[in-house]
Amino acid sequence: MTTHHECDVLIVGSGAGGATSAAILAEAGHDVLIVEEGPWVDQGSVSPFSLDQMDKQYRSGGVTVALGVPSIAYTEGRCAGGGTEVNSGLYWRPPEETLERWRSRYSIKDFATDDILAICEEVEHSLSVQPVPGEHTAASRILQRGADKLGWQNGEIPRWMTYPEGAGATQGRRQSMTRTYLPRSFDAGARILCDHRLDKIVRNGRRAVSAQLTHAGNPVTIAFRDVIVCGGAIQTPAILQRAGLRHRIGRTLAVHPTVKLSAKFDAAEHGAVNTPEDVSVFQVKEFAPNMSFGGSASHPGLVALALTDNWRDFGKAVTKWPELAIYYAAITSEGRGMVQAVPGMRDPIVTYRLTKRDRDLLGQGLARLATVMLEADAEEVYPAFKGAPIVRTRADIGDMASRFAASKASVMTVHLCSTAPMGDDEKRCATDSHGLVHGTDNVFVNDAALLPEAPGVNPQASVMAIAIRNARRYADQRAG
Amino acid sequence: MSGTVSTPSTVARFADGLLTNELPLLSDDRRREVIDFIGRRVQVLPSLTRFGVLMIGRFVDVTGMIVGHATMRRFVTKLPIPLLAEYPRLVRSLGFAYVWETWPDTTVDGGTGVAP
Repeated sequence: MTTHHECDVLIVGSGAGGATSAAILAEAGHDVLIVEEGPWVDQGSVSPFSLDQMDKQYRSGGVTVALGVPSIAYTEGRCAGGGTEVNSGLYWRPPEETLERWRSRYSIKDFATDDILAICEEVEHSLSVQPVPGEHTAASRILQRGADKLGWQNGEIPRWMTYPEGAGATQGRRQSMTRTYLPRSFDAGARILCDHRLDKIVRNGRRAVSAQLTHAGNPVTIAFRDVIVCGGAIQTPAILQRAGLRHRIGRTLAVHPTVKLSAKFDAAEHGAVNTPEDVSVFQVKEFAPNMSFGGSASHPGLVALALTDNWRDFGKAVTKWPELAIYYAAITSEGRGMVQAVPGMRDPIVTYRLTKRDRDLLGQGLARLATVMLEADAEEVYPAFKGAPIVRTRADIGDMASRFAASKASVMTVHLCSTAPMGDDEKRCATDSHGLVHGTDNVFVNDAALLPEAPGVNPQASVMAIAIRNARRYADQRAG
Repeated sequence: MSGTVSTPSTVARFADGLLTNELPLLSDDRRREVIDFIGRRVQVLPSLTRFGVLMIGRFVDVTGMIVGHATMRRFVTKLPIPLLAEYPRLVRSLGFAYVWETWPDTTVDGGTGVAP
């Protein structure tokens, strides 16, 4: 039996773009209905960065991959709140030069840097963005110590966290969308349907008129006035393509590729460096925007995963996992990828092609990151690529660099964007300057897919600021 | 080894051989639990990836029946053949991540160790 719903504005997805859009539009008097493919998972009911969390809050249990040489593993949140429920919570404003480049290169109207940064300030207030009030974790201090010894620029990245314990607190409570913008939207009358997968948006010419969904195996239809697609950089283009919209959609996937290493420190001197449920809040920005270094989740299972490329030589380290922490080198990539919905297939095909410059940069990044680790007194460093040596001295770094090839590395990313870039330059962009899909009257995009390029920093602030900007414009133009 | 409720038999057989070889002291109960986990993850892989894994799994399994499963396993785990090499990498990654997340005191050969 088919269930029917109606609304003014259907918002597909409840992450950083969808939740903020819902709050702004509901508060402006629009009848907003959010549909979310994943479940509502209360914070604290799963252990952060665990396999259990991946089962419950990630798409495909966290095992998703962009095909290529090498293939790039990526993750997508699939739950109420989307990626904001599962990411590291680090907050970076979009760099001013990036905003200016986007404005000029993609002909984005009404995109003054000061206006975007003013929205960022609002977001920072709403999400309680702040540094850790208490002592940093050992994993954070390692990165800071290594970079300081080298004289490399580094610093603490504030997080959107509250610290109920006050001044000495080291552990915060994340201010994800299920704690902030989604409750705000509900207070203003918005509704949410979780565990509802959008199968298709039905169009009549330039207008989308309804959506077909599945909930627990049963069909659901929703009639709407306008639809705003916020499914993230992979699902959004796939949804649009299934609706027959293809102009510049899914052709310019941009990511921040990363390579990793594990580093072991003397327990007697440094204590336990592994904090399974947290990540380093320090990043090394000496070589930004081309590359930056940070800390990854280091659950014992993830430590084992990071050692598997060379298990015969590295495996014995797994029993010392409390003394190990995982770090990454991320680069801004010149390569691009594709997202392609295929008729009859539930999931889109995702591909990504690194350029030679990207592959070289990954090798350089890993070598420099290993240098930071040695300066921070790492006893042993285990790079995550097939055939890598154990690095104990500076001389070993040269050996490591000579053996490195991106095709042998476990390359991954958590930052995906740019699959429906915005701007009035129709040759380059899928939507206009405010997210309206070219060739339609009422299909909008308002998530990471809009970012014309990868911003070179954690993208959530950029996504939220642009989504709020676009939602306000929509509210101004269409009375609720 | 036949497949469990959620694990395709070809993947289960390969995972069983790989885990037995690389984590020889992992108990039978634990190994079965790990194989179940691998199977659950394979079932929720994105469409194309799942299709590819199941096809490669079948190829490896059928070839293994001819040349021997252990020989075939050594072949695909050692030679860097594009796509084919991703299969043991996926199985090993999922399996090892599950082992050390679930039983963090496991020794490098799969035995039950003392909590570090």
